[in-house]
Amino acid sequence: MNRMIKLLLILTVLALGLSACGQTTTQQPQQPAQPQQPAQPQQPAQPQQPAQPATRTVVRLSGWASSPAETALLESLLYKFSVENPDILVKYEPITGDYKQVLLTSIASGTEPDIFYVDIFWWLELAANDALLPLDDLMAASGVSRSDFIPALIDAFTYEGKTYGIPKDFNTLGMFYNKDLFDAAGLAYPTDDWTWDDLREAAAKLTDLSNPNRPVYGFCTPPDPGRFPVFVFQNGGTVMNGDFTDTTLDSEAAVKAAEFYASFRTNQIGAMPSDLGEGWQGTLFGKGQCAMVYEGGWLIPYLRDQFPNTQYGVVMPPAGPGGEGNLIFTVAWGISANTKNAEAAWKVVNFLTSEASQTAVLESGFALPSRQALQNSDYLKNNPNSAAIFNGSFFGARPFFWGSVGSDVNDQMSKALERMFKENQPASEAMKQAAESIRRAMR
Amino acid sequence: MRTSTGRRKWADALNGYLFISPWLIIFLIFSLISLGYAVYLSFTEYNLLRPPRWWGLEGYQRVLEDELFISKALPNTFKYVLIVVPIQTFLSLVLAFAMDQNLRFQRFFRTIFYLPSVTSSVVISLIFIWIFAPQGIFNQITGLTVNWLDDPRTAFYVIMGMNIFTTSGTLMLIFLAGLQDIPLAVYEAAEIDGANGLQKFFYITVPMLRPVIFFVVTVGVIGCFQVFDQIFVMTNGGPLDSTTTITYLIYKWAFRDTRIQMGQASALAVILTLIILAVTLLQRRVIEGSGSGAER
Repeated sequence: MNRMIKLLLILTVLALGLSACGQTTTQQPQQPAQPQQPAQPQQPAQPQQPAQPATRTVVRLSGWASSPAETALLESLLYKFSVENPDILVKYEPITGDYKQVLLTSIASGTEPDIFYVDIFWWLELAANDALLPLDDLMAASGVSRSDFIPALIDAFTYEGKTYGIPKDFNTLGMFYNKDLFDAAGLAYPTDDWTWDDLREAAAKLTDLSNPNRPVYGFCTPPDPGRFPVFVFQNGGTVMNGDFTDTTLDSEAAVKAAEFYASFRTNQIGAMPSDLGEGWQGTLFGKGQCAMVYEGGWLIPYLRDQFPNTQYGVVMPPAGPGGEGNLIFTVAWGISANTKNAEAAWKVVNFLTSEASQTAVLESGFALPSRQALQNSDYLKNNPNSAAIFNGSFFGARPFFWGSVGSDVNDQMSKALERMFKENQPASEAMKQAAESIRRAMR
Repeated sequence: MRTSTGRRKWADALNGYLFISPWLIIFLIFSLISLGYAVYLSFTEYNLLRPPRWWGLEGYQRVLEDELFISKALPNTFKYVLIVVPIQTFLSLVLAFAMDQNLRFQRFFRTIFYLPSVTSSVVISLIFIWIFAPQGIFNQITGLTVNWLDDPRTAFYVIMGMNIFTTSGTLMLIFLAGLQDIPLAVYEAAEIDGANGLQKFFYITVPMLRPVIFFVVTVGVIGCFQVFDQIFVMTNGGPLDSTTTITYLIYKWAFRDTRIQMGQASALAVILTLIILAVTLLQRRVIEGSGSGAER
């Protein structure tokens, strides 16, 4: 009798253990199917959908949650969608923490959402490995054209002639300047036609190191691969060659740009944010310890929330010897190549990137809309700060994308700058070392 | 008769397995199977997006040729072990010895010394980030202007110091238990022979603690070889790779890089396991071989 009870107990425990892993196995049947699916992606799913309008199609959607306000905006858009499309149930599953890590592991286990954010920086890895659905047929079927979107943005999500993502918004870098500090130094506010020389002169005049506990620097120069390339572009250089098979960081133009960038700190008219004990220059700008910073539109709501008393303006980054330069940061909606509801997923994406939704994005203030039609909106006319960042995309701006070794390129750029800042390595050596490391990583 | 003892044995075994089944199931699923799979992945090229492709020893070769591994991660990891393990072992032994005397507020001090060990390493890392910030408490007290965590010369030592601070408490407890196992009669005999305090410590306490010291050093070495979370939170392997260790490099290859190299990362994980195994065996030989071996 006792033995029977023990046996039963063991069986229950085993069953519990097995069912615990069974939950993952129930979702796994997709996995063996994966390799075959890309050959015939959405066709079989399409005809089935209209056949069963009574049941609601479930579409899972994921993105990172960068701020509560942004999440709220997305949720309100999804609510509007659910009212207009009662037959589709969108499940919003935000991913906190390391987004790319979670997304890639979910793709590996076949449990990825139907719709997800894809960042300009790494989307190509997904497209090149058949994890994303080409959207051209779906776009054509619902009358959406590539030309509805800003060309630089839609081109950035094109691979081998196919569109793999609809840009949801974008940002460029603007030069934020602290009006109070400019007034105190008796300087005129910057304009869009400033040059590197104006930047250097203003930085020197704005720097005030009289209070050692609260130094004020004219310009912040973080060793950040999301800022420094602007100077390379403005000096007529590039980070990578045209087809991303080699780096050009050891070129004359890039080295000279690095020298100029480092000269602010060397001459004590600029600083790294970490010199002042902060991780991000946005905070220092809000505190009035950096009079000028290059940041994107995301700084606007941050300042509104955290430093509402900081008076500031935004202009385009001052041009260098090689003309204008800027970086485009953009994120698109992508659809999984393994989705069973491609049509419904597309409906959601199309709704979220429609002109109405994009207007809501624009008015929220944290990012700029990807639709061409909104260029002349009243909002941009009334908000010169946002307009400066929007217009940046038309002046020498290139996407923040360095090919399949992108993270290595970023690492090496920041390390080269750190070596120059912290170990006084000459720019030519630092950039050469960076370029060599990148070439090794490419092999 | 025979059958009943046989059944009896069966029932006992069943009993045993029943009791360990919760652990056994978790171990099988989350450790043994994952471990085996990682070993398999180490022989493949795998980017998470396509199924693993057999690669043989290519991944291992790439690891051993990797500049970051050879010039930073490997030396950094050994440096970390060689500095942290002796200090934390000695410090915790001294603390345990002090706590074993009849001091006032003994319980209070034991609690205080153990407290860092039960605090989440992420929380302690954040506290250390603030303490060692340029305008942090440490610089304000000492009057220095070093940017500790952003300077390649100092960042790694701050992390080492933090690890010593957090683990010494646990190791102290283990030593304390070992100290209380030493029979008082031995000390009394030594006293009669005229041994002083220092002599008692070095000729009785330390030799009698040999098995405990082996345990503490082994646990310490394994823990130090696997240091990750503090580095992940505090420096992300920087500045200038000065805090990149083997485990951080595994994470970088497996998850952080644009081009995921899960196979190469798994190969490095296997290599790390082999390193730890070799060092532990060596240690056992050194610590057990040099002593009287009476404990065994």
